[in-house]
Order: sequence, then C-alpha cells, then structure tokens
Amino acid sequence: MLELEQVSLQRAGKRLLWQVSLQAVPGELCVILGPNGAGKSTLLQVMSGYLRPDSGRVRLGGQDTVGLSAARLASLRAVVEQQTTVPSGWRVSELVAAGSYFAAPGQQAAAMAQALTLTDTSRLAQRRLDSLSGGEVQRAHLARALCQLLASTQPERYLLLDEATAALDFAIADSQMAQWRQLAQDLHIGVVAVVHDLNLALRHADRVLLLQDGCSIAFGRTADIMQQARLEAIYGIRLAELISPDAGIRAFVPHTTR
Amino acid sequence: MIRLSLLCQCLLVALLLTCLGSLLHGSGIVWAMLHGNQTLPALQLQLLLQLRLPRLLVAICSGMLLSSAGAAIQARFRNPLAEPGLLGIYSGAALAAALALSLGAGILPVSLAGFAGSLLTLWLIRLLASPNGNGSRLILSGVAISALLGSLLTLLITTLPDGALRSITFWLMGSFSNAEWPQAWLLLLATPLVWLGLFRQWRLLNALQLGEATAFHLGFDIRRGAWLVVCLASIAAGVVVSSCGMIGFVGLLAPHLTRLLTGSDARRLLLAAPLLGAWLTVSADWLARSLLAPAELPVGVITSLLGAPFFLWLLRREQESPRA
Repeated sequence: MLELEQVSLQRAGKRLLWQVSLQAVPGELCVILGPNGAGKSTLLQVMSGYLRPDSGRVRLGGQDTVGLSAARLASLRAVVEQQTTVPSGWRVSELVAAGSYFAAPGQQAAAMAQALTLTDTSRLAQRRLDSLSGGEVQRAHLARALCQLLASTQPERYLLLDEATAALDFAIADSQMAQWRQLAQDLHIGVVAVVHDLNLALRHADRVLLLQDGCSIAFGRTADIMQQARLEAIYGIRLAELISPDAGIRAFVPHTTR
Repeated sequence: MIRLSLLCQCLLVALLLTCLGSLLHGSGIVWAMLHGNQTLPALQLQLLLQLRLPRLLVAICSGMLLSSAGAAIQARFRNPLAEPGLLGIYSGAALAAALALSLGAGILPVSLAGFAGSLLTLWLIRLLASPNGNGSRLILSGVAISALLGSLLTLLITTLPDGALRSITFWLMGSFSNAEWPQAWLLLLATPLVWLGLFRQWRLLNALQLGEATAFHLGFDIRRGAWLVVCLASIAAGVVVSSCGMIGFVGLLAPHLTRLLTGSDARRLLLAAPLLGAWLTVSADWLARSLLAPAELPVGVITSLLGAPFFLWLLRREQESPRA
C-alpha cells in the first residue's frame, strides 16, 4: 500500500499541505482532484520522496520513504512529471532506456520491450522525440516510467502521474486514463494521478482524493466522493449534472448563465 | 548518425596523422630519411624528445580534458553554452598564476599556483551554492565569482612591470610553448583519471538532461552525483589552464561538434568528444607554430579565431534545420 499519514508541509511560511492522509493500493487508479493551487502536485512530490514532509509519514509498501536512497525509491515508484523536458536529438528508445539504468543488465531489454508494447510506442522507438506529437511524447514518458517499474523486482510498485493529460486533447486524454487503469489491473501496480478534468476522474478513477487549500476534503470510492454539492463547494461554482442513461455516463458541467 | 566505432576509428586516425605531422614538421627528419641518412643528428633527436614530444602530449591531453569536461558540464547543466570554465575556474586559476608571476616565480610554480587557484575557486563556489544541488544557482554564483576574480586580475595586471606583463598575457592567451615533461606527466596522469570519473557518470548525465527532478525519480542521488561531475570537470579545467593557459572554445566547440555526429547520448559523447578535442588542439598548435614561423602565435588565439566563426555557423545551421 502507498500510504500517506497526516502529511503536512510548509514552505516559506506558507502552508502547502495540512494533515493529508491517503491510501492507494496496487491494481487501482487513484485520482487527486482539486482547484489550481490546492497542492495536488506538491502532494505527488511528497509521495515520490522528492519533497520531505514537515510532519506525517509516507510509506511505500510499508517502508518509510524518509530513510530510503534515491535508487531504492526508484525501484518502488516511477513518476511522469508535469513538465517533461525533451532533450534535443533523443530517440524514444533512449528515453525509455533511461528507465532501466538501475536494472540488472539481463532485465533491461525485456523491460524496455514490454514498456514499449504496453504503451503502444514500439513503432516509435527509433523516432526522435522532437519529431513526435504531444500525445506521442506523453506516451514515451509513460513508457519510460513503466520501464522503470517493470525492471524493478519489488513486489509492490507505484506509478505517479502529475497532470499527465494536461497537453492532450480530450479523446486522447480519455484513452490515456483508460489505459492507466488497465495497466494498474494488468501489472498489479498502484497508479496515482493528478488530474484536472472532473469528468475524466468520474469515468476512470477507482478512488478520488479531493484537495482544497492543502487540506483533504474527502477520500474514497469515486461514486461516493464525487457529489455535486461537494464539488460545487470546492470549485466555488454551480454545476449541472448531466446523465446519459443509455450509455450509463455521468458528467458535470459549469451551470452558469451567459 | 554514424556508427560509433567507425566514427571513433576515423577520429583516431585523423588524430594520429595530425600528431605525426605536428611532431615531424620542420624537424628535418623526413628530409634526412628521404635522402637515406640512417643516423639522426643528436640535436634533432633532442628537439623531438625534449620539446616536441612533451608539447604534443600536453596538447593531446588538454584537448581531451577540455572536451570531456565540456561535454559533461553541458549535460549536467542542460545548457549548450556551458563550458568547463563556466564556474569561474579559469579566472581563479589566472588570478593565482598572475599573483605568482608578479612575485617572480618560475614556470612550474606558476602552474602549481594556477591549479591551487582553480581548486580554491571551486571550494568558494561550493560554499556559495545551494545545498540541494540546484543547478541554476550554481551557475549564477559561478558567473559572479568569475566577474569578481576577473576584475581583481585586471587590477593586478595594471600594477605589473613590463616583463611580467608580457608573460602573463601570453599565459592568459594560452600556449603550449612552455610545455615540458613535468606538465606532460601531470596531464598524462590527470587525463585518464578525470575521463574515467566522468565516463562512469554517463547514466547520470543522460538522466540530468531530463531535468533534476526526473533524474532523482529515475534513482540518482543528484546532490552527490552532480557535484562529482562539476568537481571533475573543474579539476580538468584547472589542470589544463594551469599548465598551458586559457585555450578558448575547445571545451565548448568539441562537444558541440561531436553531438552533431553522435547525438546527445552522454556515453557516445564522452567516447568521441575527447578524440575530436585532441585533434582540435593538436591541429591548432601545429598552426600556431607554423603559420608565422619562426615566430609563434598563442594557441588560444588560433582556437578562438577559428572556433568562434565556426561556432556561429553551427548555430545558424541548427536554427535553419532543427530536424537535421
């Protein structure tokens, strides 16, 4: 289990996180939702061990992240960052290989091949990153992170995604999130994603954490958490809930008069 | 992209041929051999062994050191304009060397003072840089230190007598003409150590090109690893600058040129760049010695004179065809 216990964090006198708790389990997609500035990305950086909380605990598969080395952390979790940089001239295969730098030499090739297949990037492997579309670059970074997890021998592994759908059009974003959930189930890894789109979360998330001003408002099963009144309070606007009975789809849209 | 082994072989052959040319040019040996003289005059042999050979070795080693340090520093800071002297290492070395010269020291003490100056600068920067290994703050501290030491150097130079002024100017411009066996041995020792130290970090250098956060996520201890890279590159710059002065543009140009041929993968880059760098310095030294013979130009003038326009052309070319 990936476990946050009463995590608080301050920077420069500003309270960024306040007593946030969360449990993510392998096989599920857990989504962190909240308005801009709520502390979603900060929370993810605390989970990844990049930021150390002022108080509270972060455990990855039962191990407290504070004492773990960077290499040890890397065998437990992989991260797709919000702003992924593309070094000039790199090929997709070189990027994905970076995920397996710490793997045993025998496992590298297998992990790479599997990561490329899972993300449907095998045919892009020899392409240069700067010649790819935004969605393809995103998939390449996902493959890099997956490769890191596949090369690890740890029993419990987690994939952390920070606004990984931000630059994608809604159709690609939707298929990406469906894929994360599928990967979580197939590989039995825990996926935690920061997402901005309420409806993507509603459609794909197993669990949702609602965050506002660094505080956890609610955490639990998606259907229980994503209630209209609660979302209206967090985002400070009126919402309308749309339901398509035959497709079985719910969606929230802003309910404002123009 | 050319195959790496083929590229390295080509560079190696070019380097060897240039070395041979530089070594033998004007020495009368080829002439003697063509005329069937079996015995070499003792004077010629002396010239080769005591002057040409150490000088050649110094040129090779400094080219290798500067280009591998440049490649590593550019990767570490994700900045194509970074070079080994970025953190004020050159200024620190120059100031210390000028100080030693003004006190009337000989060539070897001046070199040692220069090296000590570069290490002191590195230590100063270590004190000022942020503890969490933030790269941009490190660069900015280096720039400030560089400016400070540079102005102190100018101040010192204005007070120097003519003789010392001439030698410090020559030293500042970079030259292999003072190279003797002690420097050659020092560089022969430093080059493999520094290169090996940097090459062992190729994974980290690749990861750092993805950003410091990503490198950490991939499992690298940024604080330790990145500092090690900076230290090794600065030591390389210090060793070179203290034994043959400032040789501009090689540390910047050689990694750039190599990247055109190998791509930016740090492992390929660190294998090929030293060969190209050594070829550049050896050719530049040959030119510096023979262009206005018997007078000699400072080799730093040649590298900058040819390097700067070439670099501009390179930038223009990259701008015009970003996908090339």
